[in-house]
Amino acid sequence: MDTSHNPHAKQLPADLGAPAFVDAWKTRALMIGAIFTVIAVILGFLGQAQDGLGWIHFLRAWLLGTMWTWGLAVGGLALLMVQYCSGGKWGLLLRRPLEALSRTLPVVFTYWLVTAIFADRLYLWAKYTTVAATADALKSGLINEIQAHCLNFKRPMLNPDEYWGISLACFAIWTFYAWRLNTLALKRESQGPETTPYWIKKFENISGPGILVYSITMTACAIYWVMSLDPTWFSTVYGLVFLVAQGYLVLAFSIIVAISLSKGEPYKTLLRQTEQHDLGKLAFAFVMLNIYLNFGQFLIIWSGNLPLEINWYLDRIRGNWGVIITLDFIFHWVIPFAMLLSRDIKRNKKRLVRVCQWMVFARAFDMFWLIEPNFKDAARNLHFSWGILEYIAVPGAMFCFWLAYFCTRLKTRPLVEVNDPHLAEILEPEHAHA
Amino acid sequence: MPAREGTYGLLAEFETPGDLVRAARQAHQDGWRRMDCYTPYPVEEAAEAIGFHRNKVPLLTLIGGLLGGGVVFTLQTWISVLAYPINVAGRPTYSWPAFIVPAYEWTILWAGLSAGFGMLALCGLPSLYHPLFNAPNFRDGATTDKFFLCLEALDPKFDLIATRAYLAAFKPTSVVEVDY
Repeated sequence: MDTSHNPHAKQLPADLGAPAFVDAWKTRALMIGAIFTVIAVILGFLGQAQDGLGWIHFLRAWLLGTMWTWGLAVGGLALLMVQYCSGGKWGLLLRRPLEALSRTLPVVFTYWLVTAIFADRLYLWAKYTTVAATADALKSGLINEIQAHCLNFKRPMLNPDEYWGISLACFAIWTFYAWRLNTLALKRESQGPETTPYWIKKFENISGPGILVYSITMTACAIYWVMSLDPTWFSTVYGLVFLVAQGYLVLAFSIIVAISLSKGEPYKTLLRQTEQHDLGKLAFAFVMLNIYLNFGQFLIIWSGNLPLEINWYLDRIRGNWGVIITLDFIFHWVIPFAMLLSRDIKRNKKRLVRVCQWMVFARAFDMFWLIEPNFKDAARNLHFSWGILEYIAVPGAMFCFWLAYFCTRLKTRPLVEVNDPHLAEILEPEHAHA
Repeated sequence: MPAREGTYGLLAEFETPGDLVRAARQAHQDGWRRMDCYTPYPVEEAAEAIGFHRNKVPLLTLIGGLLGGGVVFTLQTWISVLAYPINVAGRPTYSWPAFIVPAYEWTILWAGLSAGFGMLALCGLPSLYHPLFNAPNFRDGATTDKFFLCLEALDPKFDLIATRAYLAAFKPTSVVEVDY
């Protein structure tokens, strides 16, 4: 690479591979994951003995873990495509970690398979698949009249065949995009700088439509996997709420990765305060957008006050759930917002990492509020049971195992893309660009 | 205030922001305090080089935002609960979700106005006169493509001959003396 035009430019080290401590992360993640697994199994037995809901809570918590890691993998793919279209030095900085995120899809797929196999324990529409079965359930009081009506009315969409078909198609589409972007990135590396304009166009042409395809497919899956847990309710902004939450989660996670990697080469040379600050600002924008959409949805439904919509919120506010949504508001918005407002925190490595770790946790807490009140035993009735602690243990274990796999993906290729004009810019000292 | 007379300071002109920042950082290290940088566009590093690590604009913005949001939320509460209570679809008169949107907008509005006007006020603007406009190269270059460092005569270290030599050591394009 030619850096002769700027005598103050920094030099990249010869070895661009991931530093050795990534292996230590992997080992630590596996150990913590194993501990969480043991706790999850014990809680399953305890919960089963207490109220017979131990394993069903295990499964619900599994769904949360699936959605959490899915948000990272697919959201990572989406942000990868966004940075190819938008350009910018932050994009170069995050490119390899985002590629590694997109290559964790196989883990997410196995996670999802479990929820798909046990779909009849999670989704009413998967349990009562015919009009007759629905009528029986209504007669024996397992579901109410509204649910029976919705199940029958929505059956053309909410049925196991459609669920499998659409989910598998979505996984195939994401895998295709992840594969295409990842293999082309290596091909780009093997060629000289004269090919750069071609590659910039090429990646833009793949990513632009890819972002659109991603928005549609992720909306479909958010609806099938989470929203349909309550077959009576619907919200047109639901896909967008998940999309923005993925941006929130992925940005927080990639900031943690970039800053943690900067303890060793090559990120030590690569990560400047300017780009760290930019990423902090971007994360702040997602914090804002996230509360904007969530509150917007609430305000519209609250204003309408219609019996078919408002119950979804009442299930999540009454019976002690008000405590959870208040905490959710504080965890998910107030704390990240107040922290990221500060310029000093955004420019401080250690503090920014703390805020971002909090954001990754807050995303899971938010999904607890989304998922658990869908079920009859929990709606408008938040109560302690051993089973409910599965929401800590199971997603914790799943996240750790996923993280270990992510670390192995991070090690498979150099962390810096050399065939990119942004590289020369990012190696310049910070004031020289001004 | 009587008109000041005499030398305002010595103005060094640089071609690149990098040169300006290096010179400013060195001068600040050498104990200069009455000094300023002038650039055609914001160069944050130049502000940091002369010791401007923070300013009061964020604080003003925060206060403005909190005031705006608080004022309009209180206003709506007062109207709906006390001054003119109306039954809207059977909701309680204190229906806070409905108050959030105007409160949010006013937070942004007041924060934005406080940031804008606060910045102008803290910069001492509007100002009708500044001695540096006496320097022709400043008039021509400060808003287009030149970068300036001014060491002011009010600084106790200032000495017309020695300071000119000091500035010349940074190899600027020119050093000119500016009168009030």
